[in-house]
Amino acid sequence: MAVSTRRLQKELADIKRDGTPVGITLLSAEDFATWYLSVEVLGNTVYEGEKFALKFRFDGQYPISAPAVQFVVDDTYQAPVHPHVYSNGHICASILGSEWSPVLSVVSVCVTIQSMLASCKVRPAIPYPRVRGRSEH
Amino acid sequence: MATVAQPQRVPTVDDLRVKLCYICREEERFDNPEDPPRAWTHPCSCTLVAHESCLLQWIKAAQQDPGKANNALKCPQCGATYELESENPRILRFLNAFNDALSTAGKVVTVVGIVSLATSFGFTIYVVATSYGAFAVKEFLGEEMYNLLLTDEPSNWPWHAFIHLPIIPFSLILSRTRLFDSFPLVPLFLTWSSSPPVRTSSSSIASPSSRWRSSSSAWPQGSSSPFTSPIAWPPTPFMAMVFLPFIRIAYRRLFNTLTKYVMGTLPESAGGAAGPIRRVVLALGEEGPGPLRVHIGANIQQVNPQDAEGGAQAQQQGNEGDDNVAAAERTLRVTTSSLGRFIGGALLIPTISARMGSLLYRLSKHSSWLRAFLAIRDHPAPPAPAIRLYDGPPGSNAGLLKQVGSGMVAGLHIMAGGTPTWNAADPVWWRNAVGLGLFVVAKDCVRLLHLYLTKRELESRKVKSRSFAGVDIRELDLIDQPLHPETAGAGAGQGAPSVPADVPAV
Repeated sequence: MAVSTRRLQKELADIKRDGTPVGITLLSAEDFATWYLSVEVLGNTVYEGEKFALKFRFDGQYPISAPAVQFVVDDTYQAPVHPHVYSNGHICASILGSEWSPVLSVVSVCVTIQSMLASCKVRPAIPYPRVRGRSEH
Repeated sequence: MATVAQPQRVPTVDDLRVKLCYICREEERFDNPEDPPRAWTHPCSCTLVAHESCLLQWIKAAQQDPGKANNALKCPQCGATYELESENPRILRFLNAFNDALSTAGKVVTVVGIVSLATSFGFTIYVVATSYGAFAVKEFLGEEMYNLLLTDEPSNWPWHAFIHLPIIPFSLILSRTRLFDSFPLVPLFLTWSSSPPVRTSSSSIASPSSRWRSSSSAWPQGSSSPFTSPIAWPPTPFMAMVFLPFIRIAYRRLFNTLTKYVMGTLPESAGGAAGPIRRVVLALGEEGPGPLRVHIGANIQQVNPQDAEGGAQAQQQGNEGDDNVAAAERTLRVTTSSLGRFIGGALLIPTISARMGSLLYRLSKHSSWLRAFLAIRDHPAPPAPAIRLYDGPPGSNAGLLKQVGSGMVAGLHIMAGGTPTWNAADPVWWRNAVGLGLFVVAKDCVRLLHLYLTKRELESRKVKSRSFAGVDIRELDLIDQPLHPETAGAGAGQGAPSVPADVPAV
């Protein structure tokens, strides 16, 4: 069994047992390759009332390798309009790149993204289009 | 009996009741160890513990990823640095150091290699440009001046030649764009009309120059100053350059009026009405030169002129309608042919002006007025005297102010009037410049003629109409129906004269 499978099994068991933090729910975890979670920002924030969906993709080396996380953009969900979020759902976050470490988990990534949205005081006018070749910041 | 207090032992990872690896999230209870047992480690100052194998795997993976390499040995929670122990004999350290040294050397080689490639490429371009520049100077100034100023031997060239000559081809090309007009050539002529002649052992003016040197201590007879007056004919290149922009603007205005009269519309490149070129479309794969584009539009009749001489087809398309719209969307279409015509035409300018100049020279043999205008002397000019900076005999002490003053006067005279050596030579450049101007005028007129005829052709077009011969007459809804479909069909097939009178002739 791949390393990622065992670890994700554990994480799933923890979620089922302890539940998820407020504003985050598990939408789907059918396999150990792709998970969907929803994120809402509570309280009086710029994103009040908006619900977003995150798509996690894991490879066989998780948690040594970081999961690929992006906002779902389809008929039901839109990407939030945020300086670090592109219009195609791509997220610019250090914890998904150079700051990733195995001490983080799916839930902790969701919480980090939730607080990233909550800390945004001014909503940018238009979403940033994703330009080919743009590097992470 | 009092119990003796045991000294407190500092706990280690093995004293934990339950160990939870932060990487794989597996638990191990102290009373239910794994079989075979796995090593655990507490590598930092917080409470995170991990399987040694999990942690080593993480460290190895992180060190190989360039983004994460800096954080590989740091605890994600408390930031403490992990310490590793390994078998690291000297030979391994040496091999690693050697490998790193080779990598650094490789980087240096790459950078140096690329830089030297670029430099040699640039140098080749420089050599080509300089040779072209020398050729251009020879064509434009004539052989005599060329041998005075440059000669064919680069070792004779003044230092500024090596700067000015390679600039020439680029400034020629740029002078055809709207941006630069005549600007780049100015410094060229500035320096050269005032530079001393090249001293060579076998220059064509060797004897005059030696006579010139020997007479340097004497004033020339009958002139109060060694300089020619600034208002001289022909004008020096400096003066010509000063007046050129005005001449150019005046000519353009005049020609626009003519175009308006002939074509009934202003060309797009009129004055400042042209907006900035927003898009340059590189259409290098396109076929052929394409026809001239003449719009006969609803509101504004716009004609696409052909910019600059040599017939560059940098076709500029404006939009009909608003001035704003027209200014906003101007595309410059560059095709293989337009690029070649533009650049080739620019580089041909010296040759064209030389040919025109010699044409004018031959024509001037028949007209004394032309000879005067072109300042062609019937007899060789006397040798030019040396330039003296002071009034008064040499060796006299002149005050500093006087020196500065006479230096400035000298400079002004040289700029405006040219050095005496320059003036003594046959002014080939002047007739070349005049010839070039005439060529430009002629070219513009020819272009205007071309546009006018094209416009006429477009306006005079008609489409030829044919009869319905060969079409089944039953498909046609004619005003007078034929009496017999069969005979009428046969009749129609035979041509007009045999058709019955009541069938309308087409």
